[in-house]
Amino acid sequence: MIIEPNDPFAAEKHLAVEALFKVIDPELFVNVIDLGMVYNLDFEKSDCVKVLMTLTSPHCPMGEAIKNGAKNALEIAFPDRVAIVDLTFDPPWSIDVVSEEGKRQLGVE
Amino acid sequence: MADINIGNAPPNSAILPFYATGALSFLILCLLLFFSADSLSVHYFNPQSLTIVHTAALGWGTMIIFGAAHQLLPVVCERDLFSPKIASLCWYSLTLGIVLLTTSFWYSSYNWTTIIGAILINLSAIAYLVNSIFTSRVCKKYSAVRMFVVTSSIWFLFTAFVGLLLVINLAFPFFQKNHLEILKLHAHAGLAGWFLQLVTGISSKLVPMFLLGKYTKEKFLNISCILQNLGLILFLVDGYLFGLNPNRTILYTVIVLSGIVFWMVFLQKNYKERIRKKIDVQMKHTFVSFVFLGISVLLIPVILYFTNIQWANLYGTLLFMGWITGIILGKTFKTLPFIVWNGHYKNLSGKIKVPLPKHLYNEKIVEWQFWVYIAAVVVLAIGIILKNALVIKFASLIWIAVASLYIFNVLKTLLHKTKTQ
Repeated sequence: MIIEPNDPFAAEKHLAVEALFKVIDPELFVNVIDLGMVYNLDFEKSDCVKVLMTLTSPHCPMGEAIKNGAKNALEIAFPDRVAIVDLTFDPPWSIDVVSEEGKRQLGVE
Repeated sequence: MADINIGNAPPNSAILPFYATGALSFLILCLLLFFSADSLSVHYFNPQSLTIVHTAALGWGTMIIFGAAHQLLPVVCERDLFSPKIASLCWYSLTLGIVLLTTSFWYSSYNWTTIIGAILINLSAIAYLVNSIFTSRVCKKYSAVRMFVVTSSIWFLFTAFVGLLLVINLAFPFFQKNHLEILKLHAHAGLAGWFLQLVTGISSKLVPMFLLGKYTKEKFLNISCILQNLGLILFLVDGYLFGLNPNRTILYTVIVLSGIVFWMVFLQKNYKERIRKKIDVQMKHTFVSFVFLGISVLLIPVILYFTNIQWANLYGTLLFMGWITGIILGKTFKTLPFIVWNGHYKNLSGKIKVPLPKHLYNEKIVEWQFWVYIAAVVVLAIGIILKNALVIKFASLIWIAVASLYIFNVLKTLLHKTKTQ
């Protein structure tokens, strides 16, 4: 996920990304940011933070835990906001969205 | 953006009893092997072998597979499990049925207790079939994996029903055909219908998921499904109507084997195109188990054309202890820690630092388990080929070591306490 420097919520988004680094996919052992699962962060409304993210596969058995993890991490980082996690499979997750660090941790050659 | 329903995993109370009972059955199976080593060098229709085979097939194989399948049906079908209560009923009836049935086999005491045991196993098969059909019915689109799940559960019910007829025939003889011939049909409906098709279906979903395989075309799986079922149906119909003929049986074996080859091609394509390059020890168990499956199938012509009983015993042993056991030994630690982890941490994730599922068991012991398992299969095979009870007894000791390592890790996982620091 790229955060533009002129984004009015750049500071919040950086803080959110930092929080989401703590959310690990329990099967892949890599955090959701490096896995490229987080597509968008929305701070437009003052009382909530919306995150649009995906999973590695639909009906992933760990999906609920990952979704809860993202919500928990964001609500700790932003105590005055409610975190809303929306899932999408459009576009579906692929290796192309994984960061170099994520690929290294996955052992991708 | 619409919120996508990712579904809920079935409650642990509906799943974990299968794993606990399966692990206990594995230990009992290994002890039975030790105390009945002689039975593996004589004809398989004897009280000890019948007990061992049914402990392996139902108490160990089916029990663990039921646990994993109830957990994985929602993953495969992308829908919540139809009924966790029916899953619990499935466990109660299977467990009680196995106790009654295997006790009867051990004491060669065939009466109403045996029949009630077989009826309970049929009830369990019906319960599982209901869950698999009603969980899979609203799959958004046809999938070969779903088809394998449904066909395998139908074959399990068929196998259990023929088993019921067999035990009725032992208690109150009524067959006009040879009991042993029907027994062979029963055994192969279970092996090629229930175990093979379920393993084909579930592995075709899980192996790509674990390896992050990119190959998704289903044509090989569709062909595999047709060939596996065609070969088995022809074998059963022909065997029942006209008796087993070696030449025709070879033909049916080739058809089923072709189905296996198409499934392997699908897995191999996923293996080649996988994103995750590192193969963990659980996946190694699976790959080695396929080698034992291949050897077993190749033994079929030997069994058909050579009358020495050790080849039939070796065939059954490699299927149960090499193939099915190998898959379970590995896949247990690909499923159970995640199920238990979800129960402890799915609501804590992101709030505090939580352990990973792999921290719920000892990975080093799974490594050991892998090598000791291979040694156990090889030594047992040598003992059976040589018809040497002493070697078989020694192999049984190695099997007890495998069971001990496995149970240690299963208990460590099941008894995990939530860590909040």
